[in-house]
Amino acid sequence: MAAALAPLLVHPALWRGDDLAPQPAALPSGFAALDAVLPGRGWPQDALTEILLEREGIGELRLTLPALVQLAARHRDIVWIAPPYQPCAPALAAAGLDLARLYVVTCKVPQDALWAFEQALRAPRCGAAFAWLPTHDDRVLRRLQVAARDGQTWGVLWRRPGERGSATTAPLRLALAREEGQLAVHVLKRRGTDLAHPVRLALDGRMPPRPRNASDIPWQVHETA
Amino acid sequence: MALWVCLLFPSLSLDVFARALSPHDAAYPFAVGSDEHPPRIVAANAAARTAGIREGQLVSGALALTHDLVLRERNADAEMRALTQIATWTLAFTPMTCIVPPQAVLADVGGSLRLFGGLQRLLARLASGAPEMGYTSRLGVAPTPEAALLLARAAHAAPVREQADLPAVLEPLPLTLLDMPQATRSMLRDAGVTTFGQAVALPRDGAARRFGHDFVVCIDRALGRVPDPRAPFTPPPRFAGSLELPAPARDIEALGFGVQRLVRDLADWLQARSLGALRVTLTLTHEHALHTRDLPPTVAPFALGAPTRSTAHLFGVLRERLARVVLPAPVEAMTLESNAVTPLAGKNLGLLPGDGPDPVEAPLIDRLRARLGDEAIQRLALHAEHRPERATQIVRGHARLPPAPASLPATLRPLWLLAEPQPLGDIFARSPWILRDGPERIESGWWDDGDIRRDYFIADTADGKATAWIYRDGRHGLDGGDWFLHGIFA
Repeated sequence: MAAALAPLLVHPALWRGDDLAPQPAALPSGFAALDAVLPGRGWPQDALTEILLEREGIGELRLTLPALVQLAARHRDIVWIAPPYQPCAPALAAAGLDLARLYVVTCKVPQDALWAFEQALRAPRCGAAFAWLPTHDDRVLRRLQVAARDGQTWGVLWRRPGERGSATTAPLRLALAREEGQLAVHVLKRRGTDLAHPVRLALDGRMPPRPRNASDIPWQVHETA
Repeated sequence: MALWVCLLFPSLSLDVFARALSPHDAAYPFAVGSDEHPPRIVAANAAARTAGIREGQLVSGALALTHDLVLRERNADAEMRALTQIATWTLAFTPMTCIVPPQAVLADVGGSLRLFGGLQRLLARLASGAPEMGYTSRLGVAPTPEAALLLARAAHAAPVREQADLPAVLEPLPLTLLDMPQATRSMLRDAGVTTFGQAVALPRDGAARRFGHDFVVCIDRALGRVPDPRAPFTPPPRFAGSLELPAPARDIEALGFGVQRLVRDLADWLQARSLGALRVTLTLTHEHALHTRDLPPTVAPFALGAPTRSTAHLFGVLRERLARVVLPAPVEAMTLESNAVTPLAGKNLGLLPGDGPDPVEAPLIDRLRARLGDEAIQRLALHAEHRPERATQIVRGHARLPPAPASLPATLRPLWLLAEPQPLGDIFARSPWILRDGPERIESGWWDDGDIRRDYFIADTADGKATAWIYRDGRHGLDGGDWFLHGIFA
């Protein structure tokens, strides 16, 4: 009986309540542990992902870089809208990103940024659109979600630390924090069942390890008089 | 075998103005007056005709009929430009096209019938194309150009394909349809020769003596008895399409329709010359009201990311570009010019249905640039430079990315850089940060006033929750410099 059912159970059209919802082909994130908990085994390529940050500087962008590198290698455009800081070209190039594919949009007016985000999400050639916007308007978010679906674009709405984290319509919501020296990804919302425990990822082999003992600390910084 | 199609534009003097507005917006009575003295009505639109205005009427009489009549003086230059534009468009159907001022364009489609799936289909495309451009047209089809012109003027819609049929078809047509001097015209009338058939029946030598050699040649050419060489039309080397609005437009939305017309004209011109546009300029001329006499025209230049002649693409970016334009005064006329073009090969059509080219859409970046301005769209390039703030070169506009330098920094760089290094001040006094790596000394730029001498560290914040790139400023001695935050390991 179980043997006869087995081929049926793997059929993509069959969804079981205890499983993640079946998803169209997703974009592998480059982290096996993260892919395992994301619906479709990767970043959604047709939906908005909302990422909440506890702090900046915990490796939040490095989490997305392997997927961006892949997209750029497939000649899909990457658009960053209103990033909070100046992106550093040598660091991006060192990660393997083809800079010719990256467009950074800076807007003086928030409406323009939203417009640009929607256009980018809707554009078929655009593979990923990231926006750092404080928008919480449900109608706007739904519009963005529809745009991402129509354009088959991976849209990420970044929430900077301290921003209100109200429930939104984004089908995938993650909260990032550093826990025990690693990047912890809390899946707040996904298609399918909830995930109780965060996924911990070791991000970058090049990053020097954090000294464990006081004696290993090369130099502790104090204000020198 | 030659087969000539004549496109006749009976209301061209009206259409050159009226096409700037959608028929819905132009429901008011509108007429064009001649520049003779006293001025007479040359053409009137449907609303004006309903009000009783007719061609040939005195303008003063027409104004008495409707108080809200919009009247413009005939613009012969604009009519000639319109004919040039139409002739350029017909080059999509045949290489042999010529203009017959003041109202007609002739095209020899004999060689392209098979390509367009027969005469009926080709005529259908020609007949629907002109209204799409905003012109009212009438077709005449005959084996000789002169006969095609006559048939179009006579509103004889049925195509005549055989030269042998011509004498019978042309026979009843009045001679007034022919182009000839007024003197010849009155002489013919006085002699009682009014129809084409009567003229053909005249003895040739006598007719040539009385009515002039040109008259006889014209008859012979219409019947195909003598060759009728025409100089083929060549599209102008530059495109500059302009539209005069019937009435000044106050808001930018009202211009969209006219811009779309101009974009189509541009696309036709690009198609005829196998070119793609790289840079175009839209110029809006303002009403010459007293207080705005010296107002310069509003110029909206625009550059495209890749050469194109797709109407959808061009209009998509121009619409966004227009959204950024602030009108200082109502617009009277607009001009679209191509400033830079480049050869662009045609595209093969798909073999199977649904196999065709992708739905045309203005590429994202062009649209973003059009709406937000070149300044808003940055691209990043590597720059061989030790100073971190200069190692990223920001490229704006359409400039090519410079080639990447041979090597990247050997040490780790943060993904985010702060626009200005932020002094950390006494942060360390309260709680120490933990250094993961460093120091990396960067000392450079003494030659260009950007002198730096810094020891960079990768450091965790005191709570260990985030990693940053900080440096100690060593310009005023290596110990005791201030600490700055410069980057974030996002």
